[in-house]
Amino acid sequence: MSMRRFASSLAVPALAVAAAATVLMLGLLAPARPARAAAAAAGPADIPVGVVLPISGREAKPGQYQREGIELAIHEINQAGGIAVKQLGKKLLLREVFYDDGSDQAKSSGLVERAMTADGVIAVLGGYSTALGEAESVMPDRYQTPWITTGAAATTIFSHGYQWIFGTLSPTDLLGYTTAEFLGSLVNAGKLHKGLKLALALENTDHGIDYEKGIAKWNQEHPGYFTVVFSEKFDLGATDFSGLLQKIKTSHADIFLADAHLQDYITMHRQYVQSGMYHQMISYGARGPESDARKALGDATNYIFAGIWWSGKLPYPQAKKFIASYQAFTGHPPDSWYPATAYDATRALAMAIEHAGKLDKTAIRDQLRTVVLKDSLLPGQVLRFGKNGQVDIPFVIVQNQPGGKVEIVFPKDAATGQAIAPQPH
Amino acid sequence: MSGADFLNLVISALLLAGVYAAMAVGMTIIYGVMKIVNLAHAGFLMLGAYFVYELYERGGVDPLLGVVLAFPVFFLFGVGLHRGLIRRLPVSDQPTLASLLLLFGLWLVLQNLGYLVWGNADRAILTPRTLSVLRLGPITIPTVRLVVFGGAAASLAALELVLHRTWFGRAVRALMQNRDAGRLVGVDVESTARVAFGVGIAFAGAAGGMLAMLYSFSPDFGSPFLLRAFVIIVLGGLESFAGVAAGALVLALIETFSIQVVPASYQPAIAFSLLVVALAVLPGGLAGLWARRRRWA
Repeated sequence: MSMRRFASSLAVPALAVAAAATVLMLGLLAPARPARAAAAAAGPADIPVGVVLPISGREAKPGQYQREGIELAIHEINQAGGIAVKQLGKKLLLREVFYDDGSDQAKSSGLVERAMTADGVIAVLGGYSTALGEAESVMPDRYQTPWITTGAAATTIFSHGYQWIFGTLSPTDLLGYTTAEFLGSLVNAGKLHKGLKLALALENTDHGIDYEKGIAKWNQEHPGYFTVVFSEKFDLGATDFSGLLQKIKTSHADIFLADAHLQDYITMHRQYVQSGMYHQMISYGARGPESDARKALGDATNYIFAGIWWSGKLPYPQAKKFIASYQAFTGHPPDSWYPATAYDATRALAMAIEHAGKLDKTAIRDQLRTVVLKDSLLPGQVLRFGKNGQVDIPFVIVQNQPGGKVEIVFPKDAATGQAIAPQPH
Repeated sequence: MSGADFLNLVISALLLAGVYAAMAVGMTIIYGVMKIVNLAHAGFLMLGAYFVYELYERGGVDPLLGVVLAFPVFFLFGVGLHRGLIRRLPVSDQPTLASLLLLFGLWLVLQNLGYLVWGNADRAILTPRTLSVLRLGPITIPTVRLVVFGGAAASLAALELVLHRTWFGRAVRALMQNRDAGRLVGVDVESTARVAFGVGIAFAGAAGGMLAMLYSFSPDFGSPFLLRAFVIIVLGGLESFAGVAAGALVLALIETFSIQVVPASYQPAIAFSLLVVALAVLPGGLAGLWARRRRWA
């Protein structure tokens, strides 16, 4: 028998088996139909929220802290019974759909896309650091899903006219501006001299550009206070800053201001101290009081000041309550500002869902535009998103002081201690 | 730039060159004897860093002593690895794809083992000497860099002695020049290769420990140094120990001085450019150039 004849002799029985199998499958599936329809009619069982953050790679520590802030907020909301969804006539629990982007830009945007499409989340939280946040920010408008960045502050992210993005960090240019304003206040107080020279080392991202812009703006508005004698960018994640520091040394500046990420701050300051350098004031932008830095550098972190989005020293009752809850939830106290902006972003999203009264993404986006979190942890205690989606909340300046202390030293009305300036040689 | 600034830069470059040489010499030994490009070098640098860190954190062992202890431990590790994996690779006078893939895979395994054991947080070794500075008038020298330079110079001197005063050293040099000729004069290629691989890994582990005294590190640690090690051995002529020292000095000087005119964000491009230039203009490296000049003379 030829192969062709053999195959055709099998065709009829094969078709019969296939038809029987199809009928059987349909029969098996048939009872499921009414159940599924009933489930659909009853509505969703929970509210899926995407969370995309780095908990591995170079941004792992801050990413982990932000995740803890989000999870604490979700835990508290769910403990209280969840979010009331008026249209469904019931309360639903929040369900976290978490992805670790490994501190990788391409992976980060891909995971946000996955959460918004395959997982069908109602919104996405995350995007720690400007570089990762920028990568993620193109997805929300494409998939018309609200996205709240808890850790990206560069103004460029919010300058594209995107309609679905929000952020709980104030713009980085305000950080630069506040830093210069603080130094100016030290001049006015007679602690520093007028006409001091500044050396700037900036991360090679939009964050660094914004930081420099903020300082330049204040200098322009207040001529005579400071002159920038050195400004250069560096790549994030570098292992050796000795060349850059040598250039800063030869610029003979009086004040050294860097805009760096946590690991870059630790590496750079280690080499700074090893080089025997001294400046009257030193800052690494929004980094300074982190416990990892204290552990790696010991007393060498004393007198470093930082402009941060939140401090545990803020004298608000809700901040005290948050610190206690966070400590109980994670087993450790908040390290710098990281969990607070994530915690408030989650609470703002929950409030927007409740105000929308339905699990409709457009309605939730519209509510995010008008939501006002009146018991915010952040400076000023009120969180509302601006027209471009980004909050505009003042920074606080903190300074590391001997004995492991961190004091808020600016603005005056929030200060918990006096700035030590110039730092002792 | 003042004279003091210039002198500071020269000293900084010299100290850096010592560490670079110690870091690259292990790769040179392995390549010279076995014609294997050790892509897992960065993984051993990372393991060496954690080895010294753990000894310091758990046992209070001085990091410098930790570096000394790293030599025998990583030597045995290297010998074991050779027995278990490397000797199964096909023997060739040129680097083979199989060896590249195996060692690249090994690097990934080591990196992920690092994540599994130590997590993703950066670690740093903080001792009283980490942040102290030696001041000689206008010249400032970081004490830890001086100590690390001393350690690197001592280990390189010891290697030089071994290579020139022992049977193993002569065997290594013979195999680096011509494997078949070495075999003909009685060199046990298999055991020499095994010991040479062990020595190469020992230097990688110890160099990782030295680097850990200078920089903070994570399981990703090592990749930027792997590129520099490549540049150094290509500059040095792939199989020459004197070439490695010269290559390390050239790279350190160029990195230190070029950064004065090139923005810091272009620093990684300096090593890349040097690699391209060395491959295109100096395929035999500085050692080849030196040999050619001697022939002409």
